[in-house]
Amino acid sequence: MKNASATILYNKPLTSGYYKLGLGWKNKGVRPGHFVMLRVSGGSDPLLRRALGVYDVLRRGQGIELIYKVVGKGTTILSNMEKGECLDVLGPLGNGFKKLKTPEKLIMVAGGVGLAPFFMLAKEHAKHGAKFLMGLRTKAEAKILGDIKATGIKVLCSTDDGTLGTRGFVTDLLKKEVKKDSIVYACGPMGMLKSVAMVAKEAGACCYVSLEGAMACGIGVCLGCAVKTYGASHKPGDTTYNMVCTDGPVFNSEDILWDELG
Amino acid sequence: MSVNLGGGLRLSNPVLTASGTFGYGIEFAPFMKLNAIGGILTKGLSLLPREGNPAPRIVETPSGMLNSIGLANVGVDAFINEKLPKLKKYKTKVIANIFGETISEYTKVARKLESEKGVHALEVNISCPNVKKGGIGFGTDPREAAKVVRAVRKVTKKHMMVKLSPNVTDIKLMAKAVERAGADSISLINTIPGMVVDVNKRRPMLAMKMGGLSGPAIKPIAVRMVYEVSKVVSVPIIGIGGIMTARDALEFIIAGASAVQVGTANFVTPDASVKVVRGIEDYLMEEKIGSIKKLTGSIID
Repeated sequence: MKNASATILYNKPLTSGYYKLGLGWKNKGVRPGHFVMLRVSGGSDPLLRRALGVYDVLRRGQGIELIYKVVGKGTTILSNMEKGECLDVLGPLGNGFKKLKTPEKLIMVAGGVGLAPFFMLAKEHAKHGAKFLMGLRTKAEAKILGDIKATGIKVLCSTDDGTLGTRGFVTDLLKKEVKKDSIVYACGPMGMLKSVAMVAKEAGACCYVSLEGAMACGIGVCLGCAVKTYGASHKPGDTTYNMVCTDGPVFNSEDILWDELG
Repeated sequence: MSVNLGGGLRLSNPVLTASGTFGYGIEFAPFMKLNAIGGILTKGLSLLPREGNPAPRIVETPSGMLNSIGLANVGVDAFINEKLPKLKKYKTKVIANIFGETISEYTKVARKLESEKGVHALEVNISCPNVKKGGIGFGTDPREAAKVVRAVRKVTKKHMMVKLSPNVTDIKLMAKAVERAGADSISLINTIPGMVVDVNKRRPMLAMKMGGLSGPAIKPIAVRMVYEVSKVVSVPIIGIGGIMTARDALEFIIAGASAVQVGTANFVTPDASVKVVRGIEDYLMEEKIGSIKKLTGSIID
């Protein structure tokens, strides 16, 4: 874990507001599900760093690649930055996804930019027969799937408007694919994650979700990104707060009190 | 660069880290030399552990942020047993921020810390509501504030810093009240209550609706209050509010502060406090000022 200046190697638009960002930032031990905090402004507005999931490790740890979508002030500034510019990067942060003993049972479920943590896993587990389910708004967004498709992994898509794959939610795809012994890894909007957790539970499958939370620091001190979880006994009264940044962002979906998520 | 705040508290330099922005200190060891700053303020400690408020707990604002963490902390016993031992190998001063919902909670926390050699001072957070008095804030009524400070004074021989809330009509009255009640120093300001509305959902952005504003947005208010308080008290003042750089810290010092606390900046740049120390040193060299003491209150007005 370190805070260091990184040089932008490339910052290319992919499609529909999605960008791919390459950073010269030496790292060790980055795993799928880790994230970094980027400072996009040297000034005070926006004040806080932006949390982005690591998409890939470049040149054996000489850099990292990130995927982001322009949604607000911070990502707009980021999208206007050019090759050669520098920005502060804090990381790698978080717990990441667990190493799998049975990767052939893995079903990854992503919504939009939530695909970020899955490219490294897809590269590793395509040969084991893992599957990748992707929820998009429309066919034009499918360009962000290029790398993941190239791994040879089985990819199934849903779109809101039916222009690609199944019309509807990615959870509809999951319902068809999930089995009792599946291991579901999911990342995407909170509503999607909640549905994924329910579908996995009904099927009796285990499910891990990568959460987002409003956070200022990323290192467990601001205590902003609290998520209510069950304690060890898993009884209704035994609950506590965990921090997305240091206890997560990956949680067992059974540990989360889904109805109390903000 | 050394500063004597009285009451047995001497700092190697005037830069501290504000309570609630620096964890229990040890979290920052990977990013900076803890010994390079004058001292650290712990997360606010209560008699029993507190889990804090529902999320969302923070939201960004123009040049600032709102938080409603809800004073989540491990409790004073866990602090003494689990956190404090890890700080003992550092020379930096450890100042325990304490709070309670009754006067007796304040004094119980202070008593538990009194025998701990690793705790060099207390900072009394009086911004809490007094539950026994129907929730009236200790920090918004000079008489209530004085009661807390007097009670803690009776049980501690350590340096007692008292942290003021800006949520009052006249901060000078609060400062004078806590000085008379026995404060060795006064730190200000705590956060300013604020609110952000999600226009799409037509709901408050924070689960608790309101939160405390911090960051550069509040700095001019904080500098003004430090300046005002410095005119009416004789104990040292510790300036807090939106300090991101050494120049920000120097504003507070010139306006009357003997030391400063760096807060929200720790979230943005983990070693911000060290950079503030270095920047103040450079300023003193460039301006050929022999000691930081000479700069305190040197404003030409």
